[in-house]
Amino acid sequence: MSDSLLRTEKVTFSYSRKGAKVLDEMDIDIPVGKKTAILGSNGAGKSTLFSVLNALNKPASGKVYYKDAPMSYSHSGKIRMRSEVSILFQNPNEMMFKPYVEQDVAYGPENMKLPKEEVEERVQEALFAVGMEAYRKSPIMKLSYGQRKRVTLAGVLAMRPSVLIMDEPTAGLDPQMAYEVMEIAEQLNSSGVTVIMSSHDTDLVYSWADEIRVLNSSKCVYSGIPEPFYEDYQLVQKAGLLMPSVYRMNRTFANLGKCELEPYPHTQSQLSVKISDRCATDFGVMNVVKVDKDTDIPALLASEGLEGLPIGIYGMSARTARNKTEMSVDFMYNGPENCIRKCLSGEDSVLLCDPIMVDKAVSSADFINGNGYGKIDVRTV
Amino acid sequence: MMTELFRLEDVTFAHNPNVPPVMDGFSLTIEGGRRTAVLGANGAGKTTLFYTLTGVHRPQKGQVLYNGSPIDYTREGLRDLRSDVAVVLQNPDEQIFCSLVEEDVAFGPLNLGIDRDEVEARVEKALRDMRISEYARRPLQQLSGGQRKRVAIAGALAMQPKIMIMDEPTAGLDPQASMEVMELAEKLRLNGVTVLISTHDIDLVYRWADVSDVLNKGKIEFTGDADEFYSDPERVYDCGLLIPSVYGMNKDVSAVNGMDASPYPHSCSEFTAKFGRPSEVGTVYCVPVEEAEAADRYDSVMKDMRGMCTGVYGPDVRYALRERDVEFRFDAVDACFLKAVEGKDTVLFYDPIYDVSVKEQAKRLGAFGADIRTEAVR
Repeated sequence: MSDSLLRTEKVTFSYSRKGAKVLDEMDIDIPVGKKTAILGSNGAGKSTLFSVLNALNKPASGKVYYKDAPMSYSHSGKIRMRSEVSILFQNPNEMMFKPYVEQDVAYGPENMKLPKEEVEERVQEALFAVGMEAYRKSPIMKLSYGQRKRVTLAGVLAMRPSVLIMDEPTAGLDPQMAYEVMEIAEQLNSSGVTVIMSSHDTDLVYSWADEIRVLNSSKCVYSGIPEPFYEDYQLVQKAGLLMPSVYRMNRTFANLGKCELEPYPHTQSQLSVKISDRCATDFGVMNVVKVDKDTDIPALLASEGLEGLPIGIYGMSARTARNKTEMSVDFMYNGPENCIRKCLSGEDSVLLCDPIMVDKAVSSADFINGNGYGKIDVRTV
Repeated sequence: MMTELFRLEDVTFAHNPNVPPVMDGFSLTIEGGRRTAVLGANGAGKTTLFYTLTGVHRPQKGQVLYNGSPIDYTREGLRDLRSDVAVVLQNPDEQIFCSLVEEDVAFGPLNLGIDRDEVEARVEKALRDMRISEYARRPLQQLSGGQRKRVAIAGALAMQPKIMIMDEPTAGLDPQASMEVMELAEKLRLNGVTVLISTHDIDLVYRWADVSDVLNKGKIEFTGDADEFYSDPERVYDCGLLIPSVYGMNKDVSAVNGMDASPYPHSCSEFTAKFGRPSEVGTVYCVPVEEAEAADRYDSVMKDMRGMCTGVYGPDVRYALRERDVEFRFDAVDACFLKAVEGKDTVLFYDPIYDVSVKEQAKRLGAFGADIRTEAVR
């Protein structure tokens, strides 16, 4: 009936009978296939909501629907929900169950009673997806915090969930690792997984999310695209949040007559193109090059005559193929955005891209091409 | 005037002889009164550096000078050092000692031998600065991670240190709470405390810091002006860092528009002033006011300034005006300046101690072509 994958109806939950209601008749819906951010101050109920969405906690009253069917709290129902809706918790150390990487990643699928070969296949695939194949036999104790985060993410992926929930996925990670995690989530979303994230990083969320849900005082106080929410400063304040800086600056530039308010830019390059003086004709070409994990990148670039251009990388197969060569890459992180930035400065660029991410990469030029800010030619190779 | 607080001379430290050193020949000076950012990827040695500054780690090689003399590692020496240097750890649970919030905040100062009345006054102030007075008698276990973080910061504030080291002070805090922490850091500085912050929030710290010390794989990679560091993207990548978004946008738009990248905007208001080229700028009406008078002042000032946007800056005034309709309750200086860039007038209420800071920021904004007026309201 709806495009919502998960939905709560008047869900109330508290951790003890007399305790405060952490969720109070909450109505919330999660659209299928999209990237939804859950925002709210500390203690707004985000983590509790997540535990209700994968049947870890049963609401005291109200209903939770998954694919329009009420959630079952039978043993098998719960096991099923946990494989459908996987949560990446904030602290990886809370999610480590086994001493060795491969055992830990296999833990979830084994609990699902899958045949051995299937478990093995999933472990391999998940470790590849997070770039940790080489650490398969390593003891978890020896891994850094960021590596542990990736292993826990692999454990979540091995469940092949339809919904991935990430609770503060970038907290405690340094900026590069934070981008890696976000890129993995992007890759999953490209393959059809619905992704939900909570984060206190206002700017990150604004550049990432299709839609937001705002929790305040145990209720969901806003559902939809971000802009109408950020218009309402009283609501933003009450929810313990701040306006994204790109949003604020765009508004100021619009008030100064430097650009129109809409379309709203969500990334640096989008704001830059709105306010720069460049005439629209001399943008560079973005070459999106599909790269499998076995592609010989230097040979491919040579045959396409794309040598010597600034190179960005996007997606796991491209990263794997690149690691087999000695070639240097200009943008290891945030590839599409950085390649677009190069094009805006008039240079051509190359984005080495996982085939599954090509549509996403190509669409990163849509804001510019679709709104009359000029034309970046995107060539898919 | 800058004074040298800490000097590290070729400091090497390894957790045990069989592993590579976490600090491998660090030479670094930390000057008093400067907002100092310590940057680096996970594992670069930031936390180890902080433990070295408080004498927890004693280097195997090289020496650490505090106020010109080598750190005295005797019990008394370390007690003196730690009464000057407070650290807020990334994980608040590592520095929680007592079961009740107020006891925990009092723990440090009591250990220094300060008398109970004074400790009580400090605890009350610290709790209020962190907006956790209502939890004073609550057991810490019942608090959320963000609340425990506030308790840990309050505990450090109650020490009234000369140097405040904050390791990831905003990690896990919601956006408003992060802004409060940065306001507090500024207040500490204005009170003469030297503040060191390490954080992965590149954008936040780019706005804040006077000097950036970048650590990479056990070495000091860079020390100085952040804009110089970020001008070398390869080096930034190699250090596990990324370029702050305002820095990146300034570079892009300056290049396209044929403008000089310098001066480098560090805040939203500076960025919009540089590229929005406002023909007319607004006035920020400044109302430095003590907490006790803030509400009355607000009511009388706003009678004359009806309809203008207002902002509050500083924990005391924010608390005093919590019932008033204030548009910018957090990050208000930048927000009011942004309005001024748009040509609109605003009224900014703030704790009197921030006066210097507001004027400094207005002066900086002048360098970007927006000579906003800051006018004291009588």
